[in-house]
Amino acid sequence: MTSTGQPRGRLDSKLADALGEVPDGAVVGIGGTLTAGRPMALVRELLRRRPRDLTLVAPIGSLDVDLAIAAGSVQRVLTAYVGAEGVAAVAPTFRAAAERGDVEVVDLDEAHCVIGLRAAGQGLPFLPWLGGVGTDLPKINPRLVEFEDPITGRPLLAVPAIRLDLALIHSETADAYGNVQFAGTGHLDPLLASAADRVVVQAERIVPTDWIRRNPGATHYWREVCVTRAPWGTHPYASATIETDSEHLKVYTKAARSAVKGDGAELERYLEANVYGPANHEDYLEAVGIRRIAELVT
Amino acid sequence: MTSDLGPGELQAILLARDFRAEDRVIQVGANLPAARAAAMMANLTTHPDARILLGVETENLAGGREVPPVHAFLFHALGHELGEAQMHQQAVFDDMSRPDVFFVGGLQVDRVGNVNLVGIPGEAGGWRLRGPGAVALATMSTYCRGYYILMPRHDPSTFVERVSSITALGDRARRAELQFPGGGPRLLLSPLGVFDFGEDGSMRVRTLHDGVSVEQVVEATGFELVIPDRVPRTMPPTAEELELLRSRVDRDGLLRAR
Repeated sequence: MTSTGQPRGRLDSKLADALGEVPDGAVVGIGGTLTAGRPMALVRELLRRRPRDLTLVAPIGSLDVDLAIAAGSVQRVLTAYVGAEGVAAVAPTFRAAAERGDVEVVDLDEAHCVIGLRAAGQGLPFLPWLGGVGTDLPKINPRLVEFEDPITGRPLLAVPAIRLDLALIHSETADAYGNVQFAGTGHLDPLLASAADRVVVQAERIVPTDWIRRNPGATHYWREVCVTRAPWGTHPYASATIETDSEHLKVYTKAARSAVKGDGAELERYLEANVYGPANHEDYLEAVGIRRIAELVT
Repeated sequence: MTSDLGPGELQAILLARDFRAEDRVIQVGANLPAARAAAMMANLTTHPDARILLGVETENLAGGREVPPVHAFLFHALGHELGEAQMHQQAVFDDMSRPDVFFVGGLQVDRVGNVNLVGIPGEAGGWRLRGPGAVALATMSTYCRGYYILMPRHDPSTFVERVSSITALGDRARRAELQFPGGGPRLLLSPLGVFDFGEDGSMRVRTLHDGVSVEQVVEATGFELVIPDRVPRTMPPTAEELELLRSRVDRDGLLRAR
Protein backbone atom coordinates (compact mmCIF):
# COMPACT_ATOMS: atom_id res chain seq x y z
CA MET A 1 0.00 0.00 0.00
CA THR A 2 1.27 3.51 -0.77
CA SER A 3 1.92 5.83 2.15
CA THR A 4 -0.20 8.98 2.12
CA GLY A 5 0.74 10.30 5.57
CA GLN A 6 2.46 13.58 6.31
CA PRO A 7 6.06 13.47 7.54
CA ARG A 8 6.33 13.71 11.33
CA GLY A 9 8.97 16.38 11.12
CA ARG A 10 11.18 18.25 8.70
CA LEU A 11 14.90 18.91 8.44
CA ASP A 12 16.06 21.99 6.56
CA SER A 13 19.70 22.35 5.66
CA LYS A 14 19.23 26.12 5.51
CA LEU A 15 18.28 27.80 8.77
CA ALA A 16 16.34 30.49 6.88
CA ASP A 17 14.15 27.79 5.28
CA ALA A 18 13.48 26.20 8.66
CA LEU A 19 12.40 29.53 10.09
CA GLY A 20 10.04 29.96 7.15
CA GLU A 21 7.80 32.96 6.73
CA VAL A 22 7.13 35.03 9.83
CA PRO A 23 4.53 37.70 9.16
CA ASP A 24 4.66 41.15 10.79
CA GLY A 25 2.69 41.11 14.01
CA ALA A 26 3.38 37.43 14.72
CA VAL A 27 3.45 36.11 18.28
CA VAL A 28 6.89 34.55 18.69
CA GLY A 29 8.09 32.58 21.71
CA ILE A 30 11.81 32.61 22.42
CA GLY A 31 13.20 29.66 24.38
CA GLY A 32 15.91 29.55 27.03
CA THR A 33 16.18 31.12 30.47
CA LEU A 34 18.29 34.12 31.46
CA THR A 35 21.64 33.85 29.68
CA ALA A 36 21.25 30.20 28.65
CA GLY A 37 19.64 28.23 25.87
CA ARG A 38 18.65 31.19 23.74
CA PRO A 39 18.03 30.29 20.05
CA MET A 40 20.16 33.16 18.75
CA ALA A 41 20.85 31.85 15.23
CA LEU A 42 17.08 31.89 14.65
CA VAL A 43 16.59 35.20 16.45
CA ARG A 44 19.28 36.88 14.33
CA GLU A 45 17.82 35.36 11.13
CA LEU A 46 14.42 36.71 12.11
CA LEU A 47 15.73 40.21 12.88
CA ARG A 48 17.76 40.27 9.65
CA ARG A 49 14.43 40.32 7.81
CA ARG A 50 13.46 43.49 9.71
CA PRO A 51 10.01 42.30 10.81
CA ARG A 52 7.61 44.77 12.44
CA ASP A 53 5.24 44.72 15.40
CA LEU A 54 6.17 41.31 16.78
CA THR A 55 4.81 40.14 20.10
CA LEU A 56 7.65 38.38 21.89
CA VAL A 57 6.97 35.81 24.60
CA ALA A 58 10.13 35.35 26.65
CA PRO A 59 9.31 34.00 30.14
CA ILE A 60 12.74 34.81 31.54
CA GLY A 61 14.27 36.83 28.72
CA SER A 62 17.68 38.33 28.22
CA LEU A 63 19.36 40.81 25.90
CA ASP A 64 17.95 38.96 22.88
CA VAL A 65 14.64 40.65 23.66
CA ASP A 66 16.53 43.92 24.07
CA LEU A 67 18.22 43.40 20.68
CA ALA A 68 14.86 42.79 18.98
CA ILE A 69 13.50 46.01 20.50
CA ALA A 70 16.64 47.89 19.45
CA ALA A 71 16.13 46.55 15.91
CA GLY A 72 12.66 48.13 15.89
CA SER A 73 10.82 44.83 15.48
CA VAL A 74 8.81 44.63 18.69
CA GLN A 75 5.42 45.98 19.68
CA ARG A 76 4.76 43.93 22.81
CA VAL A 77 6.66 41.68 25.24
CA LEU A 78 5.11 39.10 27.56
CA THR A 79 7.70 38.40 30.22
CA ALA A 80 8.70 37.94 33.84
CA TYR A 81 12.25 39.28 33.36
CA VAL A 82 14.37 41.02 30.74
CA GLY A 83 18.01 41.45 31.70
CA ALA A 84 21.40 39.82 32.00
CA GLU A 85 21.95 39.63 35.77
CA GLY A 86 25.26 41.27 36.74
CA VAL A 87 25.95 42.58 33.20
CA ALA A 88 22.61 44.41 32.95
CA ALA A 89 20.22 44.09 35.90
CA VAL A 90 17.55 45.58 33.62
CA ALA A 91 17.96 45.39 29.84
CA PRO A 92 18.67 49.00 28.71
CA THR A 93 16.62 49.29 25.50
CA PHE A 94 13.74 47.39 27.08
CA ARG A 95 13.75 49.77 30.03
CA ALA A 96 13.84 52.88 27.86
CA ALA A 97 11.20 51.59 25.42
CA ALA A 98 8.88 50.68 28.30
CA GLU A 99 9.39 54.10 29.91
CA ARG A 100 8.76 55.90 26.60
CA GLY A 101 5.74 53.71 25.90
CA ASP A 102 7.25 52.45 22.62
CA VAL A 103 6.79 48.85 23.71
CA GLU A 104 3.91 47.38 25.68
CA VAL A 105 5.09 45.15 28.52
CA VAL A 106 2.71 42.44 29.66
CA ASP A 107 4.02 41.66 33.13
CA LEU A 108 3.74 38.13 34.44
CA ASP A 109 5.24 36.11 37.24
CA GLU A 110 7.36 33.23 35.95
CA ALA A 111 4.70 30.79 37.18
CA HIS A 112 2.07 32.75 35.22
CA CYS A 113 4.16 32.17 32.11
CA VAL A 114 4.27 28.46 32.89
CA ILE A 115 0.54 28.01 33.43
CA GLY A 116 -0.42 30.44 30.63
CA LEU A 117 1.62 28.35 28.19
CA ARG A 118 0.16 25.19 29.70
CA ALA A 119 -3.38 26.55 29.24
CA ALA A 120 -2.60 27.19 25.57
CA GLY A 121 -1.26 23.66 25.15
CA GLN A 122 -4.35 22.29 26.87
CA GLY A 123 -6.71 24.36 24.75
CA LEU A 124 -8.08 26.14 27.81
CA PRO A 125 -8.92 29.86 28.04
CA PHE A 126 -7.08 30.19 31.36
CA LEU A 127 -5.71 28.32 34.36
CA PRO A 128 -6.00 29.45 37.98
CA TRP A 129 -3.06 30.45 40.18
CA LEU A 130 -2.63 31.77 43.72
CA GLY A 131 0.74 33.52 43.34
CA GLY A 132 0.06 37.14 42.44
CA VAL A 133 -3.12 37.47 44.52
CA GLY A 134 -2.60 40.44 46.84
CA THR A 135 0.00 41.98 44.52
CA ASP A 136 -0.42 44.78 41.99
CA LEU A 137 0.34 42.52 39.01
CA PRO A 138 -3.37 42.44 37.95
CA LYS A 139 -3.33 46.24 38.08
CA ILE A 140 -0.35 46.60 35.74
CA ASN A 141 -1.45 43.63 33.62
CA PRO A 142 -5.28 43.68 33.38
CA ARG A 143 -5.19 40.37 31.47
CA LEU A 144 -4.73 38.75 34.89
CA VAL A 145 -8.22 38.59 36.34
CA GLU A 146 -8.97 37.95 39.99
CA PHE A 147 -11.96 35.65 40.54
CA GLU A 148 -13.59 33.79 43.39
CA ASP A 149 -12.62 30.14 43.58
CA PRO A 150 -15.93 28.22 43.37
CA ILE A 151 -14.60 25.56 45.78
CA THR A 152 -13.24 27.64 48.67
CA GLY A 153 -14.67 31.06 47.90
CA ARG A 154 -11.21 32.58 48.18
CA PRO A 155 -9.59 34.82 45.54
CA LEU A 156 -7.49 33.35 42.73
CA LEU A 157 -6.00 34.75 39.54
CA ALA A 158 -7.16 33.59 36.12
CA VAL A 159 -4.03 33.51 33.97
CA PRO A 160 -5.06 33.62 30.30
CA ALA A 161 -3.66 31.16 27.78
CA ILE A 162 -0.51 32.34 25.98
CA ARG A 163 -0.91 31.12 22.41
CA LEU A 164 2.05 31.42 20.07
CA ASP A 165 2.24 31.48 16.30
CA LEU A 166 5.81 30.29 16.45
CA ALA A 167 8.25 28.96 19.05
CA LEU A 168 12.01 29.31 18.50
CA ILE A 169 14.07 26.78 20.39
CA HIS A 170 17.66 25.64 20.80
CA SER A 171 18.45 22.01 21.54
CA GLU A 172 21.60 19.95 21.76
CA THR A 173 20.40 17.21 19.41
CA ALA A 174 17.59 16.52 16.97
CA ASP A 175 16.95 14.17 14.06
CA ALA A 176 15.37 14.64 10.64
CA TYR A 177 11.97 13.59 12.01
CA GLY A 178 11.68 16.31 14.61
CA ASN A 179 12.74 14.21 17.59
CA VAL A 180 14.41 16.70 19.90
CA GLN A 181 16.66 16.00 22.90
CA PHE A 182 17.93 18.67 25.28
CA ALA A 183 21.01 18.45 27.45
CA GLY A 184 19.50 18.99 30.87
CA THR A 185 16.06 20.31 31.51
CA GLY A 186 15.55 22.32 28.36
CA HIS A 187 14.28 25.23 30.47
CA LEU A 188 10.62 25.98 29.63
CA ASP A 189 11.16 25.12 25.97
CA PRO A 190 8.99 21.97 25.80
CA LEU A 191 6.10 23.94 27.30
CA LEU A 192 6.72 26.95 25.04
CA ALA A 193 6.63 24.66 22.03
CA SER A 194 3.38 23.02 23.14
CA ALA A 195 1.73 26.46 23.06
CA ALA A 196 2.81 27.19 19.47
CA ASP A 197 1.22 26.48 16.09
CA ARG A 198 4.69 25.91 14.66
CA VAL A 199 8.00 24.99 16.30
CA VAL A 200 11.44 25.67 14.84
CA VAL A 201 14.39 24.01 16.53
CA GLN A 202 18.03 24.90 15.95
CA ALA A 203 20.18 22.00 17.12
CA GLU A 204 23.87 21.82 17.95
CA ARG A 205 23.91 18.58 15.98
CA ILE A 206 21.59 16.62 13.77
CA VAL A 207 21.88 12.94 14.59
CA PRO A 208 20.57 9.72 13.05
CA THR A 209 17.37 8.40 14.60
CA ASP A 210 19.31 5.40 15.91
CA TRP A 211 21.17 7.84 18.16
CA ILE A 212 17.84 9.24 19.42
CA ARG A 213 16.64 5.69 20.09
CA ARG A 214 19.46 5.13 22.56
CA ASN A 215 17.64 7.40 25.03
CA PRO A 216 13.97 7.71 24.03
CA GLY A 217 13.05 8.99 27.49
CA ALA A 218 14.80 12.26 26.66
CA THR A 219 12.88 12.89 23.42
CA HIS A 220 10.42 15.75 22.98
CA TYR A 221 8.25 16.18 19.90
CA TRP A 222 5.48 18.44 18.64
CA ARG A 223 3.06 18.33 15.76
CA GLU A 224 4.52 20.96 13.44
CA VAL A 225 8.26 21.01 13.84
CA CYS A 226 11.21 21.97 11.63
CA VAL A 227 14.76 21.33 12.71
CA THR A 228 17.97 22.83 11.42
CA ARG A 229 21.61 22.73 12.44
CA ALA A 230 23.22 25.64 14.31
CA PRO A 231 26.44 24.72 16.14
CA TRP A 232 27.19 27.18 18.98
CA GLY A 233 23.89 28.72 17.95
CA THR A 234 23.22 30.25 21.37
CA HIS A 235 26.23 32.60 21.22
CA PRO A 236 26.61 35.00 23.08
CA TYR A 237 24.56 32.92 25.54
CA ALA A 238 25.40 29.60 27.17
CA SER A 239 24.33 26.14 26.08
CA ALA A 240 25.66 22.74 27.09
CA THR A 241 28.67 23.37 24.84
CA ILE A 242 29.66 27.00 25.45
CA GLU A 243 29.64 29.39 28.39
CA THR A 244 27.98 32.81 28.29
CA ASP A 245 30.16 35.33 26.44
CA SER A 246 29.94 38.02 29.08
CA GLU A 247 32.44 40.26 27.25
CA HIS A 248 30.20 40.26 24.19
CA LEU A 249 27.16 41.03 26.36
CA LYS A 250 29.06 43.93 27.94
CA VAL A 251 29.85 45.36 24.51
CA TYR A 252 26.17 45.13 23.56
CA THR A 253 25.02 46.62 26.87
CA LYS A 254 27.40 49.57 26.54
CA ALA A 255 26.20 50.24 22.97
CA ALA A 256 22.54 49.97 24.00
CA ARG A 257 23.05 52.33 26.97
CA SER A 258 24.71 54.92 24.70
CA ALA A 259 21.79 54.65 22.28
CA VAL A 260 19.33 55.24 25.11
CA LYS A 261 21.27 58.40 25.96
CA GLY A 262 20.95 59.59 22.36
CA ASP A 263 24.12 58.30 20.72
CA GLY A 264 23.09 55.37 18.57
CA ALA A 265 26.31 55.00 16.56
CA GLU A 266 27.77 52.16 18.62
CA LEU A 267 24.48 50.25 18.59
CA GLU A 268 24.23 50.70 14.81
CA ARG A 269 27.72 49.24 14.49
CA TYR A 270 26.76 46.34 16.74
CA LEU A 271 23.62 45.58 14.72
CA GLU A 272 25.53 45.80 11.45
CA ALA A 273 28.36 43.56 12.65
CA ASN A 274 26.20 40.95 14.37
CA VAL A 275 22.73 40.97 12.84
CA TYR A 276 22.44 42.65 9.43
CA GLY A 277 26.01 42.20 8.15
CA PRO A 278 26.44 38.42 8.39
CA ALA A 279 24.31 36.71 5.72
CA ASN A 280 23.80 33.61 7.84
CA HIS A 281 24.84 31.81 11.04
CA GLU A 282 28.11 30.58 9.51
CA ASP A 283 29.11 34.16 8.62
CA TYR A 284 28.20 35.23 12.16
CA LEU A 285 30.43 32.54 13.67
CA GLU A 286 33.25 33.61 11.38
CA ALA A 287 32.84 37.19 12.59
CA VAL A 288 32.92 36.07 16.24
CA GLY A 289 36.02 34.06 15.44
CA ILE A 290 37.18 30.57 16.28
CA ARG A 291 39.54 31.88 18.95
CA ARG A 292 36.66 33.39 20.94
CA ILE A 293 34.46 30.34 20.49
CA ALA A 294 37.31 28.09 21.63
CA GLU A 295 37.63 30.14 24.82
CA LEU A 296 33.94 29.60 25.55
CA VAL A 297 33.76 25.88 24.79
CA THR A 298 33.43 23.81 27.96
CA MET B 1 35.32 44.75 60.42
CA THR B 2 37.69 43.57 57.71
CA SER B 3 38.27 46.66 55.61
CA ASP B 4 38.46 44.88 52.26
CA LEU B 5 35.18 43.06 52.85
CA GLY B 6 32.93 43.22 49.79
CA PRO B 7 29.24 44.05 50.43
CA GLY B 8 28.31 40.79 48.73
CA GLU B 9 30.61 38.89 51.08
CA LEU B 10 28.97 40.34 54.20
CA GLN B 11 25.53 39.63 52.75
CA ALA B 12 26.43 35.98 52.04
CA ILE B 13 27.77 35.48 55.56
CA LEU B 14 24.75 37.11 57.24
CA LEU B 15 22.34 34.97 55.23
CA ALA B 16 24.26 31.76 55.89
CA ARG B 17 24.07 32.48 59.64
CA ASP B 18 20.32 32.98 59.61
CA PHE B 19 19.05 29.81 57.93
CA ARG B 20 16.95 27.71 60.28
CA ALA B 21 17.46 24.12 61.29
CA GLU B 22 14.26 23.09 59.49
CA ASP B 23 15.30 24.62 56.13
CA ARG B 24 15.72 21.71 53.76
CA VAL B 25 15.36 23.27 50.31
CA ILE B 26 17.07 26.59 49.59
CA GLN B 27 16.34 28.04 46.16
CA VAL B 28 18.16 30.96 44.58
CA GLY B 29 16.90 33.08 41.68
CA ALA B 30 18.43 35.51 39.20
CA ASN B 31 21.14 38.09 39.88
CA LEU B 32 21.72 37.23 43.54
CA PRO B 33 25.21 35.67 43.67
CA ALA B 34 25.51 36.48 47.40
CA ALA B 35 22.47 34.28 48.07
CA ARG B 36 24.07 31.58 45.89
CA ALA B 37 27.17 31.78 48.08
CA ALA B 38 25.10 31.74 51.29
CA ALA B 39 23.28 28.57 50.25
CA MET B 40 26.61 26.93 49.44
CA MET B 41 28.18 28.03 52.75
CA ALA B 42 25.25 26.64 54.74
CA ASN B 43 25.34 23.41 52.77
CA LEU B 44 29.04 22.97 53.62
CA THR B 45 28.57 23.67 57.33
CA THR B 46 25.26 23.99 59.19
CA HIS B 47 22.98 22.39 56.57
CA PRO B 48 24.84 19.38 55.16
CA ASP B 49 21.57 17.64 54.36
CA ALA B 50 19.84 20.52 52.56
CA ARG B 51 19.11 20.65 48.85
CA ILE B 52 20.25 23.88 47.26
CA LEU B 53 18.87 24.89 43.90
CA LEU B 54 21.44 26.83 41.91
CA GLY B 55 20.53 27.48 38.31
CA VAL B 56 19.58 24.32 36.52
CA GLU B 57 20.98 21.93 39.11
CA THR B 58 19.83 20.72 42.50
CA GLU B 59 22.95 20.38 44.57
CA ASN B 60 24.08 18.82 47.74
CA LEU B 61 27.67 19.77 48.36
CA ALA B 62 28.23 17.49 51.33
CA GLY B 63 29.00 14.55 49.07
CA GLY B 64 32.68 15.39 49.26
CA ARG B 65 33.11 16.36 45.63
CA GLU B 66 34.77 19.51 44.43
CA VAL B 67 32.67 22.60 45.16
CA PRO B 68 31.89 24.61 42.00
CA PRO B 69 32.72 28.34 42.25
CA VAL B 70 29.94 30.90 42.66
CA HIS B 71 28.89 31.67 39.12
CA ALA B 72 28.22 35.16 37.78
CA PHE B 73 25.18 33.80 35.92
CA LEU B 74 22.47 31.54 37.31
CA PHE B 75 22.73 29.16 34.37
CA HIS B 76 26.03 27.91 33.07
CA ALA B 77 27.13 25.35 30.55
CA LEU B 78 27.91 22.44 32.86
CA GLY B 79 25.04 23.02 35.29
CA HIS B 80 22.94 20.16 33.96
CA GLU B 81 25.78 17.72 34.57
CA LEU B 82 26.41 18.78 38.16
CA GLY B 83 24.41 18.07 41.25
CA GLU B 84 22.17 15.19 42.15
CA ALA B 85 19.10 16.35 40.24
CA GLN B 86 18.13 18.86 37.61
CA MET B 87 15.91 21.83 38.29
CA HIS B 88 12.90 21.77 35.97
CA GLN B 89 11.29 25.18 36.20
CA GLN B 90 7.74 23.98 35.64
CA ALA B 91 8.25 21.21 38.21
CA VAL B 92 9.15 23.81 40.84
CA PHE B 93 5.68 25.30 40.40
CA ASP B 94 4.11 21.82 40.45
CA ASP B 95 5.34 21.15 43.99
CA MET B 96 5.10 24.41 45.88
CA SER B 97 5.48 22.72 49.26
CA ARG B 98 9.15 22.07 48.49
CA PRO B 99 11.00 25.39 48.57
CA ASP B 100 11.67 26.47 52.16
CA VAL B 101 13.83 29.49 51.50
CA PHE B 102 13.88 32.06 48.71
CA PHE B 103 15.51 35.46 48.13
CA VAL B 104 13.86 38.60 46.86
CA GLY B 105 15.57 41.66 45.39
CA GLY B 106 13.77 44.97 44.98
CA LEU B 107 13.69 48.44 43.45
CA GLN B 108 11.57 49.57 46.41
CA VAL B 109 10.55 48.18 49.76
CA ASP B 110 8.04 49.63 52.21
CA ARG B 111 7.36 49.75 55.95
CA VAL B 112 5.51 46.44 56.02
CA GLY B 113 7.91 44.60 53.72
CA ASN B 114 6.11 44.81 50.38
CA VAL B 115 8.64 44.68 47.55
CA ASN B 116 8.47 46.19 44.07
CA LEU B 117 10.72 44.76 41.36
CA VAL B 118 8.59 45.51 38.29
CA GLY B 119 8.84 49.29 38.26
CA ILE B 120 7.32 52.60 39.21
CA PRO B 121 4.22 53.19 37.07
CA GLY B 122 3.85 56.56 35.37
CA GLU B 123 0.99 58.98 36.01
CA ALA B 124 -0.66 58.36 32.65
CA GLY B 125 0.08 54.66 32.31
CA GLY B 126 3.44 53.25 31.25
CA TRP B 127 6.51 53.49 33.46
CA ARG B 128 8.34 56.26 35.26
CA LEU B 129 11.05 53.74 36.17
CA ARG B 130 11.05 50.33 34.60
CA GLY B 131 12.57 47.42 36.56
CA PRO B 132 13.54 43.94 35.40
CA GLY B 133 10.15 42.29 36.01
CA ALA B 134 8.39 40.07 38.53
CA VAL B 135 10.68 37.04 37.93
CA ALA B 136 9.03 34.48 40.27
CA LEU B 137 8.66 36.83 43.24
CA ALA B 138 4.86 36.82 43.48
CA THR B 139 4.64 33.05 43.49
CA MET B 140 7.68 32.15 45.59
CA SER B 141 6.86 34.76 48.24
CA THR B 142 3.32 33.38 48.51
CA TYR B 143 4.41 29.81 49.19
CA CYS B 144 7.93 29.47 50.59
CA ARG B 145 8.40 29.09 54.34
CA GLY B 146 10.45 32.21 54.56
CA TYR B 147 12.30 34.65 52.34
CA TYR B 148 15.04 37.21 52.61
CA ILE B 149 14.77 40.69 51.08
CA LEU B 150 18.08 41.89 49.63
CA MET B 151 18.20 45.62 48.90
CA PRO B 152 21.21 46.87 46.93
CA ARG B 153 20.61 50.49 48.04
CA HIS B 154 19.28 52.16 51.16
CA ASP B 155 17.90 55.65 50.59
CA PRO B 156 14.53 57.44 50.87
CA SER B 157 13.64 56.64 47.25
CA THR B 158 14.05 52.88 47.75
CA PHE B 159 12.81 52.60 51.39
CA VAL B 160 9.36 54.15 50.99
CA GLU B 161 6.17 54.36 53.05
CA ARG B 162 4.26 52.48 50.34
CA VAL B 163 5.77 50.82 47.26
CA SER B 164 4.44 52.09 43.93
CA SER B 165 3.52 48.57 42.86
CA ILE B 166 3.52 45.36 44.92
CA THR B 167 5.38 42.43 43.35
CA ALA B 168 5.88 40.42 46.57
CA LEU B 169 3.29 40.90 49.31
CA GLY B 170 5.13 41.17 52.62
CA ASP B 171 2.37 42.83 54.64
CA ARG B 172 1.73 40.36 57.45
CA ALA B 173 -1.90 41.37 58.07
CA ARG B 174 -2.83 41.14 54.41
CA ARG B 175 -1.03 37.80 54.02
CA ALA B 176 -3.02 36.39 56.98
CA GLU B 177 -6.27 37.69 55.49
CA LEU B 178 -5.51 35.94 52.21
CA GLN B 179 -4.42 32.78 54.09
CA PHE B 180 -1.10 32.51 52.28
CA PRO B 181 0.68 29.22 52.95
CA GLY B 182 4.15 30.82 53.19
CA GLY B 183 5.76 32.47 56.19
CA GLY B 184 6.63 35.84 54.65
CA PRO B 185 9.83 37.88 54.93
CA ARG B 186 12.35 36.83 57.58
CA LEU B 187 15.02 39.50 57.31
CA LEU B 188 15.91 42.42 55.12
CA LEU B 189 19.58 43.12 54.37
CA SER B 190 20.68 46.54 53.16
CA PRO B 191 24.11 48.16 52.85
CA LEU B 192 23.42 49.82 56.24
CA GLY B 193 22.18 46.96 58.36
CA VAL B 194 19.89 44.05 59.09
CA PHE B 195 16.16 44.58 59.59
CA ASP B 196 13.17 42.44 60.51
CA PHE B 197 9.44 42.92 60.96
CA GLY B 198 8.13 43.36 64.49
CA GLU B 199 4.92 42.29 66.21
CA ASP B 200 2.76 44.70 64.23
CA GLY B 201 4.56 43.84 60.97
CA SER B 202 6.54 47.10 60.77
CA MET B 203 10.17 47.15 59.73
CA ARG B 204 12.54 47.35 62.65
CA VAL B 205 16.27 47.72 63.03
CA ARG B 206 17.91 44.52 64.14
CA THR B 207 21.58 45.41 63.78
CA LEU B 208 23.52 48.18 62.09
CA HIS B 209 26.73 47.53 60.18
CA ASP B 210 30.08 48.78 61.34
CA GLY B 211 30.33 52.57 61.07
CA VAL B 212 26.59 53.15 60.50
CA SER B 213 24.76 55.41 62.98
CA VAL B 214 21.09 55.40 63.95
CA GLU B 215 20.77 58.96 62.58
CA GLN B 216 22.19 57.81 59.26
CA VAL B 217 19.72 54.96 58.85
CA VAL B 218 16.78 57.17 59.91
CA GLU B 219 17.80 59.72 57.31
CA ALA B 220 18.14 57.07 54.62
CA THR B 221 14.68 55.61 55.28
CA GLY B 222 11.51 57.17 53.86
CA PHE B 223 9.29 56.01 56.74
CA GLU B 224 9.47 55.61 60.48
CA LEU B 225 11.56 52.61 61.42
CA VAL B 226 11.02 50.80 64.70
CA ILE B 227 14.27 51.38 66.59
CA PRO B 228 15.01 49.45 69.77
CA ASP B 229 16.44 51.29 72.77
CA ARG B 230 19.78 49.65 72.26
CA VAL B 231 20.79 48.98 68.65
CA PRO B 232 23.36 46.19 68.39
CA ARG B 233 26.19 46.13 65.85
CA THR B 234 26.14 43.53 63.11
CA MET B 235 28.54 40.81 64.21
CA PRO B 236 31.50 41.01 61.83
CA PRO B 237 32.49 37.94 59.83
CA THR B 238 34.61 35.50 61.79
CA ALA B 239 37.91 34.28 60.40
CA GLU B 240 36.30 30.88 59.82
CA GLU B 241 33.39 32.34 57.87
CA LEU B 242 35.67 34.40 55.65
CA GLU B 243 38.00 31.47 55.11
CA LEU B 244 35.10 29.23 54.06
CA LEU B 245 33.65 31.88 51.76
CA ARG B 246 36.90 32.88 50.09
CA SER B 247 38.77 29.63 49.85
CA ARG B 248 35.96 27.17 49.11
CA VAL B 249 32.83 28.95 47.92
CA ASP B 250 33.78 32.19 46.15
CA ARG B 251 37.21 31.16 44.91
CA ASP B 252 37.02 33.55 41.95
CA GLY B 253 36.36 36.54 44.21
CA LEU B 254 33.06 37.43 42.51
CA LEU B 255 31.55 38.84 45.72
CA ARG B 256 34.65 40.78 46.71
CA ALA B 257 34.43 42.79 43.53
CA ARG B 258 30.74 43.58 43.79
